[in-house]
Formats: sequence, C-alpha cells, structure tokens
Amino acid sequence: MTADAATMLELDRIDTYRGPAQILRGVSLGVREGEAVCLVGRNGAGKTTTIDSIMGLLPVRSGRIVFRGRDVTRLAAHQRARQGIGYAPEDAGIFPDLTVAENFQISHWLSRAAGDRGVAGPRELEERIFALFPEVRAFTGRRGLHLSGGQKKMVAIARALALSPAVLLLDEPFEGLAPVVVSRLIEAVTRIKAMGVSVLIAESNLMNAMRVADRLYAIDRGEIIFEGAPRSALGNVEVMKTIRG
Amino acid sequence: MGILLIHILNALLYASVLFLIAGGLSLIYGVMRIVNLAHGNLYAIGAYVTAWVVGQWLVGAPTVVLYLLIPAGALAAAATGAIIEPTLLRPFYKRAEEYQLLVTFGLLMILEDVVRFIWGPYPLSASVLWSELGSIAIGDALYPTYNLLVIAVGGLAAAFLWMFVYRTRFGVVLRAASQDMRMAAALGINVNRVYVQAFTLGCFMAGLGGAIIVPSQSAVLGMSVDALILAFIVVVIGGLGSLEGALVGALVVGVVREAGIALFPEIELAILYLIAAIVLLVRPAGLFGRTA
Repeated sequence: MTADAATMLELDRIDTYRGPAQILRGVSLGVREGEAVCLVGRNGAGKTTTIDSIMGLLPVRSGRIVFRGRDVTRLAAHQRARQGIGYAPEDAGIFPDLTVAENFQISHWLSRAAGDRGVAGPRELEERIFALFPEVRAFTGRRGLHLSGGQKKMVAIARALALSPAVLLLDEPFEGLAPVVVSRLIEAVTRIKAMGVSVLIAESNLMNAMRVADRLYAIDRGEIIFEGAPRSALGNVEVMKTIRG
Repeated sequence: MGILLIHILNALLYASVLFLIAGGLSLIYGVMRIVNLAHGNLYAIGAYVTAWVVGQWLVGAPTVVLYLLIPAGALAAAATGAIIEPTLLRPFYKRAEEYQLLVTFGLLMILEDVVRFIWGPYPLSASVLWSELGSIAIGDALYPTYNLLVIAVGGLAAAFLWMFVYRTRFGVVLRAASQDMRMAAALGINVNRVYVQAFTLGCFMAGLGGAIIVPSQSAVLGMSVDALILAFIVVVIGGLGSLEGALVGALVVGVVREAGIALFPEIELAILYLIAAIVLLVRPAGLFGRTA
C-alpha cells in the first residue's frame, strides 16, 4: 500500500527480533482512516510481534513506523498510546485486582492528560462504552480476575476506546470465544469503524477476518505474502495453503 | 493489668516501626518486583539524618521546631531513593534476579560506608525529643509518652498508605503498573515514572521508621542490617508485595518479640525465625501473598 493523506498507520520494512531470533523481516503495511484491516497468518507467523512492534512493546531493529504522518518508531509505548494508538492484547490484559470501572478510569484519566484529541468527558465516555457493549454495565464493579473470556475481551476493547484512539490494534480478539460472542465482537468492531476509528486486527481465522476486514494482509514466517481484498485471498491457492497449513 | 498494657504498647511500638520498614520493602517489591537488600540502609539514613539535624545541627533550637524536623530523615531517605532507582536499579530490571540482588547488596555495602564516612563510627542520638515528652503512669509503672507518638505515627502511616493505594488515582495507576507493566505502558502510563515514585515512597517509609525511632534509640552502624533481617521476617510471614501482609506480619513479630523478651529472652529471635520457617513451609507466599 502506498502512503497517502488518509493513511493513519504505516509500517515501512520493519525488522523485529525477540532475543536473538529475527521474527519480522521487512514487514510493510498500512491502515487508512476508518478502515478495518486484518493481518492473518498461522500461529507463530509474526502477527503478535507486528502488533507489539507497532505498540512499542518490542523494539524495531530497522524500518519505520509512521502514525498520522509522524515517525513514532523510537517513541516509548506510553507515548504511542497518548498519541492515539489503542491496544487490546491477545490475553485481554485486564488488570486482575482492579475493578472493571478502574480499568476504564485509567485510560480516561490518561487520555484527558494527553489532552488534545477531543477526549470525551466521563459521561460521554460511559455512553460510548455502554452503547458498544451494554452488557458491561452489569459488571463494572467486578474485579478483572472474575471476568469470563468474552467479558475480558469486551472490557479490553472498551478500555482501549476510552483513550479515544485514532487506530485500534486488536490482537486475536476472537480467539477462544463462542461463535455468538465472536459475532457480538464483530458487530462491535463494525461500529467502532463507523466512529471513524481505524482498526488493525491480528487474526488466525480467515473466516472471521473475512467478516470484518476491508482489506487483508497475510503474513508467514515474518514476511507479508499477500495484500488485497479479502475475497481475492480466497481465490489465491498459495495464500490459502499457507494460512491453513 | 498495667504491666500487660505496657507489654501490648511495646509490641505495638515495635510493630509500628517494623511496618514502616517492611511496608516500604513490600511496596517496592509489589510494584517493581525487586528485592531491595539496601532497604535497611534507607531506614538507617532516616535515623542518622534526623539524629544529626535534631541532636547536632540544630541543638538548642525551640523544641517545637525540633519535633517538626523529625521527618527530615524520611525526606533524606526519599531523596536518596529518587536518585538510586533511575541511576543504579533501572538498568537491571530486564536482567535476571541474581543481578538485582547483587546490585542491591553492593548498594547495602556502599551506603553503610557512606554513613560511616559522613557521621563516623559513633552513635548519634536525638534523645532530647524522647525525654522532653516525659512519661505517663500506667498502673504502677511509667511509660514514655514519646512511644505513644511512635505508635500513632505507625497507625497513621498504615491508614494513609491504605487510602493512598486503594482510594486515589495514583494508587489505581500504581496497582495497574504492578499487575501488568506492559499493559500499563500500552494504556499510556509512564511506567518509569511510576517506578521512581513507588521506590521513593517505599524509601520514605523506611526513612520515617528510622527518623521516628531515633529519639528513643540511637543511630548506630549496623542498624540497617538488623532492620533488614526483621523486615524480611515480616514480609515472609505477611507475604512479599502485600501491604496488608506487612501490617499483620509486623504485628505478629511485634507481639512475639515482646512475649519472647518477657518469657524466653534467650531464644526470642529464634522463635521469630521458626515462625517464618513454618509460614514458608505451610504457605510459601506468606499469609497475604499470592502465588504466581
């Protein structure tokens, strides 16, 4: 994808290592404004490493990450979050000893401290969260430790939204969930997109990716092997073979 | 009855100081997962600085001023912590635990020598504050009024710390960073800043323990290691990383030590070690600790 005015996030030939092992090899991808992009691949292909690299949780050895026209490659994770990159990890990352309300409050306090992105007030924020996930209202006083898998994923996405992000990174948001919960989350992602938030989803299930993505990248062994419309991925035998193993 | 009350007060006195030291140690471990072997030195710095300010530098100043200057030692310990964390400890967070233990052990030796270099080998005292308050009658015996002040400070510190950790924004951020540092950073929390604040607060508590006790006990070389050993017994019993555990552990140690001194003085410390060993065997994470 070539960069243009509407590109929110762009990765330009990034190489990332975990310890001595090179995981990403010249990965380039882009996410446009209000677009849902899926990064599909098998387990170990480099999806989580890509998301972690964008978030600043893993250092990029070479290449550039550009967010809203600004090079953020050398920024710390907390600075990227304050710039407007939201993140919900594979394990949801809910703080176990904090209540759901406290989990939301952290994002909100920090987003207000970050200042200039037209951040919502507490009431507007609550409305935004509960409009997306009305069921969360019932367990805001519950500690993270006592949430089910689906509840954790909902709270993680809602918490990331509380930072008023421009781009939302979702790492395996549908993994391990019942089909009805997956449908619920896909519906939520569609609504998040409608709010004008760009979404990058790391997903190993191609069928789930097809349901939500405007565009799709396939990754294998740390390299992007396909970029295009979801339907065209289905017609590409080599891509299908690689993704499905 | 009066004697029993005095024993209870002595146990509370001891527990108050121990809570301040062990609570700081536990707070630092809870947030940063680092066992600071130099924590006892921060307690000693608190004691030496207050003893020096009150007993030497401003000797002869109005008594009220001297009482107000008791926290000087705590502030000095906090300032020392604020320098140590980003310069000496931060580079070791990503290394194995052995390196952290080695660097804090090295720090223990260095700070011990720094204290000796600055204040020399002789004890420092601020006993004017202790004697100024006199004693109160409990039954047939007299009890130092200053000790009641120490007990009150310990109780207030525990209440303040609980409110700070569980009822403030910073407390929520602190708990978040302690539970999942990566996720906290990804939500916009400056984890390095939280670490230096938590470390400084932990050092302040240790320093306050030293500062508040020095009017009744002189500051002496070696007090840091004694305090560290007892603080470890407290956190082993209560659970490293748990403030509630530090409070309960300090009370247990305070009561057992007081009973030990009265009933079986020869093996008073051995009893404490035995209790710590039993807790380690039965509940390795301590009474309030959580296993990983």
